[in-house]
Amino acid sequence: MIAKIICYALSGLEGIPVEVEADVNKGVPSYDMVGLPDAAVKESKERVRSALKNSGLLFPMNRITINFAPADLKKEGAVFDLAIAVSLLKASEQLLGADVKDIVFLGELALTGDLRPINGLLPILISAKSHGYAKFIIPAENAEEARYLGGAEIYPAASLADVVRHLVGTQPIPPLETREFVPGQHKRSSADLKYVKGQPIARRALEIAVAGGHNMLMSGPPGTGKTMLARCLPTVMPDLTFEEALEITKIHSVACVLGEEGIVSERPFRTPHHTATTVSMCGGGNKIVHPGEISLAHGGVLFLDELPEYKRSTLEALRQPLEDGCITVSRAGGTFTYPARFMLCASMNPCPCGNYGSTDRTCTCTPSEIRRYRRKISGPLLDRIDLQVEVDNITYDELTSDEVNEDSASVQKRVNEARRIQRARFEGSDIHTNAEMGEKEIQEFCGLTREGDKILRDAFESMKLSARARARIIKVARTIADLDRSENILPKHVFEAVSYRLFDKL
Amino acid sequence: MMYTPEEKTVIYETAVKGMSGRAGLAAIRGGSAVRSLSEEEDGSVTQFLSALDKRGVFLVTFLSEDYPELLKFAADPPLILYGMGNRELLKMRKFCVVGSRITPPWAEKFGKALTEELASHFAIVTGLAEGGDSAAIAGALPSGNLISVLPCAVDMCYPASHAALKEKVAQRGLILSEYPMGTAATKWAFHARNRILAGLAEGVLVLSAGQKSGTLITAGRALDYGREVFALPYNVGIAQGEGCNALIKAGAYLVTEAADILSVYGIETEAKKEAETEGDESRVLQYLRERGETHVATIAGALGMQIFEAAAALSALEIKGLATKTGGNKYSAL
Repeated sequence: MIAKIICYALSGLEGIPVEVEADVNKGVPSYDMVGLPDAAVKESKERVRSALKNSGLLFPMNRITINFAPADLKKEGAVFDLAIAVSLLKASEQLLGADVKDIVFLGELALTGDLRPINGLLPILISAKSHGYAKFIIPAENAEEARYLGGAEIYPAASLADVVRHLVGTQPIPPLETREFVPGQHKRSSADLKYVKGQPIARRALEIAVAGGHNMLMSGPPGTGKTMLARCLPTVMPDLTFEEALEITKIHSVACVLGEEGIVSERPFRTPHHTATTVSMCGGGNKIVHPGEISLAHGGVLFLDELPEYKRSTLEALRQPLEDGCITVSRAGGTFTYPARFMLCASMNPCPCGNYGSTDRTCTCTPSEIRRYRRKISGPLLDRIDLQVEVDNITYDELTSDEVNEDSASVQKRVNEARRIQRARFEGSDIHTNAEMGEKEIQEFCGLTREGDKILRDAFESMKLSARARARIIKVARTIADLDRSENILPKHVFEAVSYRLFDKL
Repeated sequence: MMYTPEEKTVIYETAVKGMSGRAGLAAIRGGSAVRSLSEEEDGSVTQFLSALDKRGVFLVTFLSEDYPELLKFAADPPLILYGMGNRELLKMRKFCVVGSRITPPWAEKFGKALTEELASHFAIVTGLAEGGDSAAIAGALPSGNLISVLPCAVDMCYPASHAALKEKVAQRGLILSEYPMGTAATKWAFHARNRILAGLAEGVLVLSAGQKSGTLITAGRALDYGREVFALPYNVGIAQGEGCNALIKAGAYLVTEAADILSVYGIETEAKKEAETEGDESRVLQYLRERGETHVATIAGALGMQIFEAAAALSALEIKGLATKTGGNKYSAL
């Protein structure tokens, strides 16, 4: 008898349906697998044999052929175990009366017959749902991840025996209850702007950066709180919407970094070390292409501490994703596109010793050392970092003492308002924030008054700004005007925007 | 380029035969050096000179008409100088501006503005290094009244990264060196070069100098030769200004504007017209002038402004050239 069971394979962030066919015939006992299975899939023979036996079921002592369709797709991993076991049971007539049509079986088997969790469950469920499948049997340990997907009957099973009892109707598994998504419900980070002492300039820059979706660079001596400021970035960004959360969760699920809570409910904050390779940053792998740090930071912040220490090639690789919001990685196994729309926040010391520009400590670097250090960051990359700000190297007591430390929530309110203005402005286009504006949009939305234009002209002459600084200053001025709820860009906005530049003169 | 027989003799003895400067000087002063060259000797000098000429290099000898008069009174004047660029500058009045390689940003900006003003009265003499020298070059280059003296041959460049800058100076101003073509910079060449800097100029302005800065050697030589020494004042405790303050303590002129230097040489200056400021800008500028280097937050707090308002006003002042960013979000007035 022949049995057909539906299972899913993962290709990038997409699930691809795979039909598992089992044929159990009379003849010399044998067990063959066809349809391009890889080693891990072939090994499932032994797992399935033991799992059946240890679940009190019979392993058919016949001539068995398992086929995977489509035959041209390479099948990888242990996700097919459950489907193979169920197809064998069905084909050997151990599931009489059970209806296995239109159910998607997902899960890896242990020798005991228990179901083990799989990676990338959420993207598979989402794809399968869009393909019209509505019933799923998944490993119980994956339940949290599936809980937020509404509109499907999902049955979490702990073992193969549970699955069989459910299918033959002796002990049905209750379907998984859908849970409502609440942004920030599983907060992992305790960062908040109210814990950051002083740093008024950097705080303001941070607010502008988030409001307009600009990338930012902080320069300052070691130990002045650059990292702490950066950690606050996700806390002032607008709350995740459910769609964003699902998309981020999909990526994290494929990359096996999803926590127990099953969904990402706050914006990711990724801090790859400066020894990170280009592949770990952008994604890669020899057969399955794993998403890299920039994709894991999708929807959140990619923080590069000590920017000049990163390998030049790694930094240059960031340029294209910064522009496109996604990364396409080609490998022998295929070409995969992962989303990578992240905010880049970088920090660096002003010079190799860290004391350049400091009044109380002497910088021991020679000018050529400083120049070499700064030249490690290329112009085109700096081009994409709209805000460059110095972090103060002074104790809090030195600043005015009546300063109030605002918390993240109140900053977030202003950010939300500025984002609302931007959404209205860019309605109908694929631009979301001021930072994404091109030359056309700048001309359309960033008309400068005659006065404003004169200021820029003067600034260029007296500060010897580079030509590429112009667009950057205008975009930042637009965001400052939005935060100010001003329709036009006023001179004061331009002046402030001019103050957020450090490296235009290098 | 034409050279007199006396010049050719000096060139033959020093550049071609390699007589030491001291022996050559004694010979010149004793009168024994002025002899006529044999035909063969004359030929070798002509060949030597035409090779230099092809590379755009000329020679100024101790006996040349335009050998800087002041340099003759230095203790150890070079017998020949290799030059590249505008020879006419040698006839101008000269003033030396130097600073150490690590010069605070405000001092660089101030030095540049000051040199710009001085350059309309003097040819500015300086080196080619980063920091103070670069500030002086930036100020004097537009007018072309600029002489850079190198510690290596005129066809070499130290620091190597300033090769493009050297080309610009050679085009608009003048490059000088006492070293034969192809000589690389050595440690002691800097000291020797500093004596030429001091010897050429009527006075020396020190923009920045640490306790052991080489610019102090230039200042010391200037004192030896009886030239005036000027220095920029610094706050107490700033390492890059300790040398400057020490010079002032010892009697150097304290400089806060170009008039301080020009008046010593009897040159009258017109009162500068200041860019106009209004509202917040004027208040911030006034505060900066009263308090000196101040953090943006302190200014905002004292004047009852939002931080970003103060930052905007400071940018405006910076664009107008009235204030400068000094690092760590601090500003000072110029």
